[in-house]
Amino acid sequence: MKCELCKLELEAYREGNLPGGIMKQVEEHLKNCKDCNEINNLEIISNRVIDQEKETQSNPFLATRVMAEIELLESNHYVPAFKKILKPAIIMVSLTAAILFGIIAGSIYQPIVSSDEIPVEMVYMDDASLESVELLATN
Amino acid sequence: MGFLHQKDDADDLTQEIFIQAFQSLGSFKGNSSFSTWIYRIAINASLNKVRQTSRRNLFQRLDGLFNPEKKNADLLSGIVTDNPENILINEEHRLWVQNALNDLPENQRIAIVLSKYDDLSQKEIAEIINTTEGAVESLIQRAKSNLREKLSSSSIKNKKNTVGKK
Repeated sequence: MKCELCKLELEAYREGNLPGGIMKQVEEHLKNCKDCNEINNLEIISNRVIDQEKETQSNPFLATRVMAEIELLESNHYVPAFKKILKPAIIMVSLTAAILFGIIAGSIYQPIVSSDEIPVEMVYMDDASLESVELLATN
Repeated sequence: MGFLHQKDDADDLTQEIFIQAFQSLGSFKGNSSFSTWIYRIAINASLNKVRQTSRRNLFQRLDGLFNPEKKNADLLSGIVTDNPENILINEEHRLWVQNALNDLPENQRIAIVLSKYDDLSQKEIAEIINTTEGAVESLIQRAKSNLREKLSSSSIKNKKNTVGKK
């Protein structure tokens, strides 16, 4: 078996996925060829390192961290449409309505026109003319 | 892990990816599956992070030269039950593989990481990187071949250094 062919079959050889005849040929070649044997060993090492890295478990609190970060982003940056547009609009409309109501109420109000004459039935109640200031001062 | 090789960095990046995905949910049109869409975001974010990290690593290497104790502490943080020789050998192997993976061209690296680390089929990888299954197969083969060469050269260099020290 040539080295090039052996290198191509190395992965299948390690996984045991080669037909019996080729499996033996690769095995024989590895015993006799130092370079191919070394390449096989290096690939075993690299697979072991990759497997070790694959086994690394993520932080158990990662999901909580992500959710907390998203919630923080939402509270800082995401302003709902209600808060953005509707709320100021409602305040503006309410304020304008209140001002208009005040103007209309003010224009509807008519003051009672008072005459200088005192009605007959009220004459006796107005005792100011009976007791003048001068009279009081002299007494 | 396949791109960054450091657990803490990978955790931070995962968080960033999910937040980015949440923020861009509106741009998901449904043309591909949701997982494919997330994978695309993850790959772009990972490559950006790797580019940033490679710049940072230069300063870390300089820091390692001046603080050898810190470097030793990093080595021991992984495996504490093994004997010191095995720890060093494992660490050396880990560095060989990581450097070999980091030196691969980006498209080969994406293909091999998705294939080896995430156990995705060639069809799934093709969908994620928007290419054909044949192209993915070719990328994976070239990546394996490049990895083989890089690992062999690292191994030879290491042997020369060991002989030189003796």
